[in-house]
Amino acid sequence: MERKIILNLAVILMFVFLITGLLSLSIIQGDKFRRQSDSNCIRLISQSGSRGNILDRNGEIIVDNKISYDVMILPQDLDHIDQVFTLISRILGVEVKELRATFKKNFISSSVPITVATNIELKSAIALGEYKTEQPSIIVVPKPLRHYPYGALACHVVGYVNEIDRWRLTKLEDYGYKTKDIVGFGGVEEKYDYYLRQEEGGLSVEVNHRGKFMRVLGFEPPRNGKDVQLTLDIKIQKIVEENLSGKKGSVIVMDPLSGEILALANFPNFNPAVFVSKRSKLISALFNDPDSPFINRAIESSYPPASVFKIVLASAGLELKKINPSTTFICPGWTMVGARKFSCWETHGSEDIFQAIAHSCDVFFYKTGLLCGAQNIHDYALKLGLGRNVGFELAGETSGFIPSPLWRKINKFQNWYDGDTANLSIGQGDCLVTPLQVTNMLAVFANHGYILNPYIVKAVGGMDFSGKKNRLIAVPFKKNTFEVISNGLARVVSEAKGTANILSSLPVKVAGKTGTAQVPHGATHAWFAGFFPFDKPKYVICVFLENGGPGHAAAVIAKQIIEAMNNQGLI
Amino acid sequence: MTRNSFFKILIIVLIVAVLGVLSIYSSTYQKEGTQWQDIYKRQMLWLIIGLACFFFFSRFNYRKLWDANYFIYGVALFFLFLVFGLGVIRLGAQRWLKIAWFNFQPSEFAKLAIIIFLARYFSRKSIDDTSLLSGKFGIFRGIILPFIFVAVPMFLIIEQPDLGSGLMLMLVFVGLLYLTNVRLKYIFVLLSAIILPLPFFWHFLHDYQKQRLLVFLNPNIDPLGAGYTVIQSRIAIGSGGFWGRGWLHGSQSQLYFLPESHTDFIFATFSEQWGFLGSSLLILLYYLIIRQGFIIAQRTQDSFGRLLAYGISLLLALQVFINIAMNMGLAPVVGLPLPLMSYGGSSVLVTFIALGILVNIDRTRNVF
Repeated sequence: MERKIILNLAVILMFVFLITGLLSLSIIQGDKFRRQSDSNCIRLISQSGSRGNILDRNGEIIVDNKISYDVMILPQDLDHIDQVFTLISRILGVEVKELRATFKKNFISSSVPITVATNIELKSAIALGEYKTEQPSIIVVPKPLRHYPYGALACHVVGYVNEIDRWRLTKLEDYGYKTKDIVGFGGVEEKYDYYLRQEEGGLSVEVNHRGKFMRVLGFEPPRNGKDVQLTLDIKIQKIVEENLSGKKGSVIVMDPLSGEILALANFPNFNPAVFVSKRSKLISALFNDPDSPFINRAIESSYPPASVFKIVLASAGLELKKINPSTTFICPGWTMVGARKFSCWETHGSEDIFQAIAHSCDVFFYKTGLLCGAQNIHDYALKLGLGRNVGFELAGETSGFIPSPLWRKINKFQNWYDGDTANLSIGQGDCLVTPLQVTNMLAVFANHGYILNPYIVKAVGGMDFSGKKNRLIAVPFKKNTFEVISNGLARVVSEAKGTANILSSLPVKVAGKTGTAQVPHGATHAWFAGFFPFDKPKYVICVFLENGGPGHAAAVIAKQIIEAMNNQGLI
Repeated sequence: MTRNSFFKILIIVLIVAVLGVLSIYSSTYQKEGTQWQDIYKRQMLWLIIGLACFFFFSRFNYRKLWDANYFIYGVALFFLFLVFGLGVIRLGAQRWLKIAWFNFQPSEFAKLAIIIFLARYFSRKSIDDTSLLSGKFGIFRGIILPFIFVAVPMFLIIEQPDLGSGLMLMLVFVGLLYLTNVRLKYIFVLLSAIILPLPFFWHFLHDYQKQRLLVFLNPNIDPLGAGYTVIQSRIAIGSGGFWGRGWLHGSQSQLYFLPESHTDFIFATFSEQWGFLGSSLLILLYYLIIRQGFIIAQRTQDSFGRLLAYGISLLLALQVFINIAMNMGLAPVVGLPLPLMSYGGSSVLVTFIALGILVNIDRTRNVF
């Protein structure tokens, strides 16, 4: 009897054991197994839309997409693997061995098509397409790819696209970015990637244990990215790039009333198409180029402003009443500051402010600078938008730098001497500005009193943003100050001995200022910053040539640009 | 009272069998080929034949088995030798005999035959005082002799190779020994004689058997090979959750991630679709059948009948336990069907015959 009860209990225990096991599997670990079950049988087949276009202010296409073709093989329909490989290899001219290797490497499951060749020509795509019925495993898929009809045009504004890198991925993962996504690098492509980016759609399908397609669970149509419209005018941009080509530097053309950037070009530049065709040799050559073609010099690097900075001195002097339009200084070709002799680049004789600007007389501004004091010069430079970020949309903007006695005391534990003030007065020394800041400063004198917020994106997906960005901030100078200085700037061109007299031959009246920046190594940097037409300014232009020689060289480029714009009836 | 157990068992068995057919249908209806799609019909046919056997054996006086027991044992052995010689190889094992239009699995019958044999062996009575002989058995007649009788078919079954059924016989043998009057001491001797050389037997196991045992300890050793079935089966059971995914909505079994989903792993198929609720009810139903068996055994005066009833109940209990435990990854994967649920004629027939005998024991009880 005893034994029977024990056996009975043993059987009961066995069944309790089973129920406990069941409880653990389906209740306690149920969710985990449910997920595993789903991932067993649900596959996503993605379909990509096309990335948004980048347009100029008139809706002209700067960057769009063209259809390219990929060849894929669907293993589940693959009957004669060798036959298929030979066929593809014959049409595309790729080695069978290579095809086999890619096929093997990328195989996931029999329902997931494997890409064996990308970006094939339309001709080959059609040729392969004809084998559709004989070889159902070959799939030719159209895929939108970035297309640059103008090659390198506005490349620094546009940026390029490439496969997402690890750093960006970690930052953007939360926003739905995945590995192997194509994202923008630099320029508008990066800044507005979120809008440009297409939304991937796709099929969610159920597969069986061999990965064979069973049925469609759902379909989400792919969505194209939004178009981004720039403020650039493609005609001006083309003129600018043609004239800058071959010379290291940067040119900006801006609307002085709204702050819209009409053209922004840098040289050396790059063709973003190399990233689409994945020509790795060209890409690495670009990255290793000592002239750094990827640098957007207009905003990402700063240079000594040299004589262009005299505009700041003139403003400070007039505003602080240290000088007035009738003040004259005599330029004997040099002046003594403390015990040091500071020379002018020429002997100008008696100069008033108009002449001093026109002739770019150093002595006049040494003296003005010493009257104003270094801290005031610093403050006025900042009022005119130098030494601080413009707040430009594109990433990588540098703020430049305007030194001041206070800064030097705090950071370098050094005293400020009058010699430093004199140096600062002609825009040398530690003083650094970006071409965009200079453009923005000139705009203040073109529009008589408003500092702008330069911008380059006009609309995204048809929504006009310009109203939000078009913020004018009044510069609290006397009206007279603007008039005196802009007249001075006009005389730079109009006077026979003006530094930019070469521009006087143009049919439009231009005002501006040249600059020749001394640099420790190599030739001087050349600046020309101006606006035109003088009476009713429509454009601010800034030409900067890195190691491009005297300011005259920049004025020559400016002349060619303005001439071409005039010929095309843009002014 | 007598009729009671007949109907109880019949009703429960019918419920389980119907659930089995539903599960077989769900796991095969999407497969290509009528051979697969009609498999549930074949199972229904087997169930009908099985029910006929059940009715027949519930009327057939089980005492006649006493007389026929050497014959039955001999026939079982004969078939096992036949399998050994000219069996059909399927799924890497030689377990089936092709007879006419169906494949017959003699090891299933051998289990029942050995239970009948053992029940008779241990219920022989002394001629002098009609007391049970087994109480006076020494170690030779109590352990070694019956062990030899069990070991021969067991060896043939293990050699097929079918480790599961072989071990099953061993367990039933030990269980029955325990229920007879054989001294506990001897049973311990037997157990230690079996368990101690086990590490030594390791070398005689087939590679796949070794692998299965290793994989049982850690299914992730070989997730796409030997461990695959266990992993998929656990996923199937687990993904059912409490309510299950609904009939014909189990992705594991219907999309064939789960191998053998209509035979050995039918519990996982069932569980995926009916969830914890359905599965625990199913386990309860099995328990009720086995409890009926035990109740019948306990109220039977005839020691042959009692041992037979115990043996049959034990056989069922062990098969159900090992199969379900193996489905849940709690026991190594051995080729054991789940009685009444798994597809397979031999298993269905033997189970129905065994249950028929069980009912008959209860029915005939009052005669003595």
